[in-house]
Amino acid sequence: MRNPLSSTRFMQGLFESDYVRSLVVGTVSVFGLLGLLGLLFPDSVAGDLARIVFSTSTATSTARLAAPIVLAGLGGIFAEKSGVINIGLEGLLIISAFVSVYAASVVGIGSAVLGVPAVAVGFLAGIAASTLLSAVFAVVCIEFKADQIIAGLAVWLIALGLAPFMSTVFFGGVNTPNLGSDATIGWGTSATLVILATAGSWWLLNRTAFGKHLRAAGENPKALDTVGVSVSKVRYAGVLLSGFLSGIGGSALALSIGQFVGAGETMVQGKGFIAIVAYLFGNYNPLGTLGAGALFAGLDAMQIRLQQLGYAVPDTLVQTIPYVMVIVVLTLVGRTQIPEAAGEHYETEE
Amino acid sequence: MNPAVHLDGITKRFPGVVANDDVDLAVERGSVHALLGENGAGKTTLMNVLYGLYRPTEGTVRLDGEPRSFDSPRDAINAGVGMIHQHFMLVDPMTVWENVVLGNEPTTWGGLRVDREAAREAVVELSERYGFDVDPDATVADISVGEQQRVEILKALYRGADVLIMDEPTAVLTPQEVEELYGVFEELTDQGKTIIFISHKLGEALSAADDITVLRDGVNVGTVASADVTREELAEMMVGREVLMEPATTPQEPGDRVLEVTGLSVDDDRGVEAVSDLSFELRAGEVLGVAGVDGNGQSQLVDAVTGLREATAGEIRYRGESMVGESRRDRIDRGMAFIPEDRQERGLVMSYDLTENGILGSQHDAPFARSGRLDWGAARDHAESVIEQYDVRPPDADAEAESLSGGNQQKFIVGREFERDPELVVATHPTRGVDIGSTEFLHDRLLELRSQGKAVLLVSSKLDEVQGLSDRLAVMHEGEFTGVVDPATVTEEEIGLLMAGESLDDDSVEGAALHDAATGGPGDDPDGATAGEEGVDA
Repeated sequence: MRNPLSSTRFMQGLFESDYVRSLVVGTVSVFGLLGLLGLLFPDSVAGDLARIVFSTSTATSTARLAAPIVLAGLGGIFAEKSGVINIGLEGLLIISAFVSVYAASVVGIGSAVLGVPAVAVGFLAGIAASTLLSAVFAVVCIEFKADQIIAGLAVWLIALGLAPFMSTVFFGGVNTPNLGSDATIGWGTSATLVILATAGSWWLLNRTAFGKHLRAAGENPKALDTVGVSVSKVRYAGVLLSGFLSGIGGSALALSIGQFVGAGETMVQGKGFIAIVAYLFGNYNPLGTLGAGALFAGLDAMQIRLQQLGYAVPDTLVQTIPYVMVIVVLTLVGRTQIPEAAGEHYETEE
Repeated sequence: MNPAVHLDGITKRFPGVVANDDVDLAVERGSVHALLGENGAGKTTLMNVLYGLYRPTEGTVRLDGEPRSFDSPRDAINAGVGMIHQHFMLVDPMTVWENVVLGNEPTTWGGLRVDREAAREAVVELSERYGFDVDPDATVADISVGEQQRVEILKALYRGADVLIMDEPTAVLTPQEVEELYGVFEELTDQGKTIIFISHKLGEALSAADDITVLRDGVNVGTVASADVTREELAEMMVGREVLMEPATTPQEPGDRVLEVTGLSVDDDRGVEAVSDLSFELRAGEVLGVAGVDGNGQSQLVDAVTGLREATAGEIRYRGESMVGESRRDRIDRGMAFIPEDRQERGLVMSYDLTENGILGSQHDAPFARSGRLDWGAARDHAESVIEQYDVRPPDADAEAESLSGGNQQKFIVGREFERDPELVVATHPTRGVDIGSTEFLHDRLLELRSQGKAVLLVSSKLDEVQGLSDRLAVMHEGEFTGVVDPATVTEEEIGLLMAGESLDDDSVEGAALHDAATGGPGDDPDGATAGEEGVDA
């Protein structure tokens, strides 16, 4: 008998659908075309664009900006696959961004706690803060059966208010002082974290028993309950993972420049919402989320460079691109598969 | 030898209700046992006790003679008792093998990886051992309901079930799948498994079970060997009084033509032709039964007649007028009543109470609508009268539709539609899920409508129902009538052949019947035929 788990099946599993494949192929060919045009007509707009796209500075800032989007997006997959829609990712990013900088400054740059350098302490503290906030969200949604959308908005609004407030209390302003270049992590670290988290998430979702339970909890919780697996526990795990991953993203964002900016929408600037778009765009597949997140971050990075070259592209317009794209894709493809029981409370009958 | 399952004096009380009263039940290893009873007789409660969902108030559960006490279904599974629910507990987008092993996945790498090869192998081995034809890599959403049921059985077997409890296993199956299920029963019992199934259908208990235990009002009325009992005796045990199994139809001269269908073709949701060039007529005071395996175009035919789906060709004339382009509301206003196949999707608004549900379809009309306002008092009176006449339980007009059992929802819909004072009743599976006492009543009401000169188009997968009630019986196969026969003289074998798409040996019989129904109608009404052709062109 032919081994049904051959490499083609594995690749199928990897891309899961034509949808993700066409996304990848489409992105690669757009960039390929741009590069070709840039080489042929170096003085045209295409040339400028190509120079920006293929410059190192764009690549590094893409890595930096992609970290919060992709990591929060991965977190969002875990929560939503388990049946809890977490639209509070933005709040989780904000709280972890602030706490990471605060904790690093408390330890003091150059010092260490138990041999752990300040930056690492800040990083871990950021993750802990985000996970804690997601735990509150989980209890409210799962234990007390609150509306997930409202609770998610509350998470965002709490963080949006709390982080600048605490910054004012501790540092005398909504923006923290910059901790200096010693307090930052490099773009390589961000990129590594993103890739590791993507690979790990993919494995967890597609290859482990926990991944199967997560999917069942979001699709047909009763089926999971009747085989003796606690739906609540699986959903708690899903939401806590969203907090954990968002915490990595928020900490990486703040510590990549060594400062928390709390003015206006804070330095997170809607990346948590773009993250939701990214994982929907990626059809709940970590690889698709990585691709979508990198694309959105890349557009953001390009927009900054374009303005430096004198093309007056309003950044507010560029920021709408992800949202416009998702509407276009959903209209044309309409194939993202929202888990059947997402957003619904589950009560065991026993 | 001890029986595989022995329920000893089980009593289960809920506040204010005794659901099971001192019930004894002994099931031998390797046998099929039917638990028969009407809705609310306590069958499911009893099985929930065995399955560990409820703790009995009194009494003991013994497996192979050993007293057991289950705190949860998990304990019952560990003791070898598996339950297959009426609504399958499957995760649709996952594959068959993923569903079978869900919650008990074999893992490698210290739990970091599901051992897919081992899981798949186990599923393949189990399905081969019991002769199940299920593709382990198929996605559950893509397989038939019968296959899904086998996946549920595999799930129980994978968890080491020795005793399988099945709740209304045939409720969702086609006749062929029911036959296949009986085959599965045999395979399972041959290999020492014990099966208990809950049912309210006499026929299925008689043909599938070795022994039958009848419950009525929570009490065990008796256990009989299925070989030693007749349908009538069983029905009497279930209902507690004598039941007329054969509805009393009296011959009746059909009146005016009410419904006339000419050259009708209808597509299904996928755009595939489901009804092909179908013609028939239906007269006042006549019941036309449509039999056939589910999915042979009956749903699309009914949708086209009731105006829920547009026909691709052909014409439907109702009381002499073309119905092309007429809306649902027009049809309702002209006296077309409709008992839909899917009562929860189309028959009721589940979150409405019975008062609100009772006026669905008549909300524009007197006495419910008065100068743009709804008269809730009148609506309530109407709901209460339906509830009383059709014995809907609980008798509470304020109860939400979703709080009623399936059989009671059905009784309410049938009541609402019959009380509309219709000219034509289109009834799809009118007694699905209804217990036999109420079925008898609904059948009587239907025949009463017939004797009042109403026309009835009756679609049912219950053969005895369509056969017993119809004046003419059309058998549908792949969108066509393979035959229109006299239900009084046709045999079940002949209907079976027609359902399988074969024509009867005696060509003249079939030809005559078809002529009578199909070509005969438009033939003596030239206008109708011409209009029909126009419909085809359009």
